[in-house]
Amino acid sequence: MLTTDEFERYDRQIMIEGFGEEGQEKLKRAKVFIAGAGGLGSTIALHLAVAGVELIRIVDHDRVELSNLNRQILHWDKDIGKKKIDSALEKLKQINAGVKIEAIEETINDVNVSQLVADSDLIVDAMDNLPTRYILNKAALEMNIPFFHGAVYGFEGRAMTIIPDKTACLKCVYRGRITPQEKFPVIGVTPAIIGCIQAMEVIKYIVGIGELLTNRLLTFDGLDMKFTEFKIKKDPNCEHCSRLERHKK
Amino acid sequence: MSVRINIPHEWRHHTKDHTIVEVRGDTVGQCLNDLVRQFPRIELGLFDKEGKLQNYVSIYINRESSYPEVMTMPVKDGDEIDMVIMIGGG
Repeated sequence: MLTTDEFERYDRQIMIEGFGEEGQEKLKRAKVFIAGAGGLGSTIALHLAVAGVELIRIVDHDRVELSNLNRQILHWDKDIGKKKIDSALEKLKQINAGVKIEAIEETINDVNVSQLVADSDLIVDAMDNLPTRYILNKAALEMNIPFFHGAVYGFEGRAMTIIPDKTACLKCVYRGRITPQEKFPVIGVTPAIIGCIQAMEVIKYIVGIGELLTNRLLTFDGLDMKFTEFKIKKDPNCEHCSRLERHKK
Repeated sequence: MSVRINIPHEWRHHTKDHTIVEVRGDTVGQCLNDLVRQFPRIELGLFDKEGKLQNYVSIYINRESSYPEVMTMPVKDGDEIDMVIMIGGG
């Protein structure tokens, strides 16, 4: 049941056809895992907090640096040197005190990933490197948890949504084993746009409204101001999803 | 027979800022080779030392994945090829 305050706070989204009170109640029961509190993670966490999810579990291992502040809008000048999770927790509690926040300082790896994402209804990819994305993709498939991918570089972005057992996974599309790039060029508006797309996909999935970005890779080119959609399909020899499906059989 | 290849921003300095290059070929491989013939500097981005397509590039024909055939995938007059480069920032 929504409270009187919640009816007022979320009035404009409850008004959306197909969303309604029922949609808001679904959001109120949703536990979201966000991997990373950087450029993508800041935008995703802020929008899911104001939308009224029950719980945001956000994981990061970094401290705030001056060079983060062109894009990581959860972190401000006064936060330089602080743990990103502490800075994130402070802002998210202020923007919506009704949302529970679990801020965890951890480096996501093969060993701890299943424990970190446990009990989450979905996983949002806000990482800054491909190897950890592959770890999250694999865990999402193994634990049957939907996975919302996003990535940025300069003025460019990518997004796609993965529903285990049903759709192509990240490894069906990204086959490379490229080494992590420590420092990548980016303008703050790019993770803001891609992060908003991911947050919108998450809200649609929870509420059960609209068409998800499944079996489609959305690319964004800010310089040409162009979104392009590419049709993708499950790779029958995918190292992650097809191997897992064969194992399940 | 003419096929259009959309050039991603990152490689446009190799194609004299052309956003689209017209190429000839019956397969994706032949089209990409024609692109390299016209703009040799793009080869380093597209292919590794053994001449294989770099694993961070995905090829789409008319917005549909060409995987797993990729280089042998047939193309026809008027087709459009996209080269999508894998990115990993967040």
